[in-house]
Amino acid sequence: MRILIVEDDREAADAMERGLTEAGNVCTRAADGEEGLAVAQAGEFDVMIVDRMMPKMNGVQLIETLRREGDQTPVLFLSALGEVGDRVAGLQAGGDDYLVKPYAFAELIARVEALARRRETGSVQTLLKVGDLEMDLIGRSVCRQGREIDLQPREFQLLEFMMRHAGQSVTRTMLLEKVWEYHFDPQTNVIDVHISRLRSKIDKGFDRPMLQTVRGAGYRLDA
Amino acid sequence: MRLPRIFRTTPFRLTLLILALFLSAASAFLAYIYVATAGEARRRTEMEITSEMHSLVAAYDRAGVDAVNQSLIERAASERPFLYLLMNQAQMRISGSIEESPVEKFVGPATWTSFSVTDRDAAGHTLKHPARGLQQRLRGGEILFVGADIGADQAYVNKISTAMQGAGALVIVLGLAVGVLVSRNVTRSMVGLSEVVDAVRNGDLGARAHVRGARDEFDELAAGVNEMLDRLERSMAGHRHAGDAIAHDLRSPLTRLRARLEVAYLEVEAGKGDPTQALAQALEDTDGVLKTFAAVLSIARLQAAGAAPDPVLFDPSDLAANIAELYEPLCEDKGLDFAAELAKDLQARGNREFLAQALANILDNAVKYTPSGGAIMLRVRRRSSGEIEFSVTDTGPGVPDGDRERVVERFVRLENSRNQPGAGLGLSLVAAVAEAHGGRLELAEGPGKVGELGPGLRVALVLPRLG
Repeated sequence: MRILIVEDDREAADAMERGLTEAGNVCTRAADGEEGLAVAQAGEFDVMIVDRMMPKMNGVQLIETLRREGDQTPVLFLSALGEVGDRVAGLQAGGDDYLVKPYAFAELIARVEALARRRETGSVQTLLKVGDLEMDLIGRSVCRQGREIDLQPREFQLLEFMMRHAGQSVTRTMLLEKVWEYHFDPQTNVIDVHISRLRSKIDKGFDRPMLQTVRGAGYRLDA
Repeated sequence: MRLPRIFRTTPFRLTLLILALFLSAASAFLAYIYVATAGEARRRTEMEITSEMHSLVAAYDRAGVDAVNQSLIERAASERPFLYLLMNQAQMRISGSIEESPVEKFVGPATWTSFSVTDRDAAGHTLKHPARGLQQRLRGGEILFVGADIGADQAYVNKISTAMQGAGALVIVLGLAVGVLVSRNVTRSMVGLSEVVDAVRNGDLGARAHVRGARDEFDELAAGVNEMLDRLERSMAGHRHAGDAIAHDLRSPLTRLRARLEVAYLEVEAGKGDPTQALAQALEDTDGVLKTFAAVLSIARLQAAGAAPDPVLFDPSDLAANIAELYEPLCEDKGLDFAAELAKDLQARGNREFLAQALANILDNAVKYTPSGGAIMLRVRRRSSGEIEFSVTDTGPGVPDGDRERVVERFVRLENSRNQPGAGLGLSLVAAVAEAHGGRLELAEGPGKVGELGPGLRVALVLPRLG
């Protein structure tokens, strides 16, 4: 993936670039909003990681400008501001996701991959298919190897998210944000319990488990 | 030119305005009196003069100058108040009660004129009365003048108008004096407030306005300013405190992290430790620091702001139901009996995100400390006071009476919780959320001791009634 990092903190950008390159991406860097705008206008990127507070032009202004020009590249905002209002402002400006500093690197990678993936599957799907697992989004039914699986509404949402991000690591925080719409980290393993319930429904009785635990990151649904 | 300060005050300007209004009203009144009396007197006098002139002209037409003279003689004997003058064609006096006509340039066949007659009163003072006169040429070319004193009515009007002018002057003087007094009084009240504003502008947040106890609007304003300053001071102190607290709160976990890394480094260097495991441990510790940081920051922000951001109206049972849905599987997994009792049709106002997090923290604690086989009850209800209460009751070991206030403080963890994960910030955040909503956190004993279980803990987050 080609990733544009617009971040004025050199050390943070260094670490990000190393980590993302290590994970097989090609990174381009810009040290402030104006440079970021010029680089973004000149090149093609799969994902942009943009710090909200930067000299010259802040992240929100940068993205607003790009969106006005018709640039639809997915944007992950990074911010030291975590209040609800800041997040909403960032998303309204055209950001696609929002990560509050300080963050775990696994969280950043998972979100960047999720954003890039979302772009690939641009068309509206009514049927999700991962390996032998199928989800009918209109009929609200799930089956694996032709066998119907009965899910609670929340389990259905959880599985839908995992299927849309099949093959990628998703973190517990992402699940809590995207499935439950809470933006805080619980001290206990609430998400793990929901996952293990879902796992017992989709993997129990089948030869091969699909829902994997990724150490240090979260979970991954494999075909 | 700059007016002295006292003349620039609002009360003084108001006084001037009221004075101006009073003077216009008085002038209008005077004008009315004049029209009603003086105008009337003059009209009446003119009518009398005209009819007198008619009768004299009639006498002249009947029998010439002699008849007029005769009439004048007769009239001089009576008490008729007219002034007469009969003149020949050359305007020379023939007869009459006055020596010469007040009409300076006679053109007319008939001309009206205003003049004044001089009189002496009993004390010998000279009095001037306004008078009207009509001069008319007779058929034979002689000229006849009839005049009359407008008289007592006019004098009366003059008296009133003099009195009113005097009164007006008095009112102006008194009004200005009152204006000065009132504005000095108001200014004195305002100066106190201005001084406070100046002091605050110069950085003294401790300055307070004097409340005189008169319970007037100035006292209200002073009290309002004082309250505003109190809040501001608390908020500033909160910000300062938040900065100190973050520094303090992060020092110990960071020190711990550093120590662990150092030990791991030494062990790996000596070939005794596993580098991967040391790194994994370090990562886990860092995550812990980050979580602590996030929690400390949330608490500090809430305390500094003093109010929950972006409050909305919401159904508290709805919020609790969502959180219950999140925690129910966890309870079941731990062998805990979970129940929710959520009252319908309630309304509360607040920041949903913070309240959800507070509720999650309370449930986190309950799940952590309640042993398997116990029970957790989540409840939302309206108290008879109108307050909205979220409560979580568990059958865990509870918190001894003496420790209940302490567990809300940051980083306080009781002896029996040492083996549980967590930084000891959960309830502090709940308390901060409750306070930011104008509510409170209450800790009480749970359902009591039943066999191995209990006595339990009941944690209630209470939001104030709406409106």
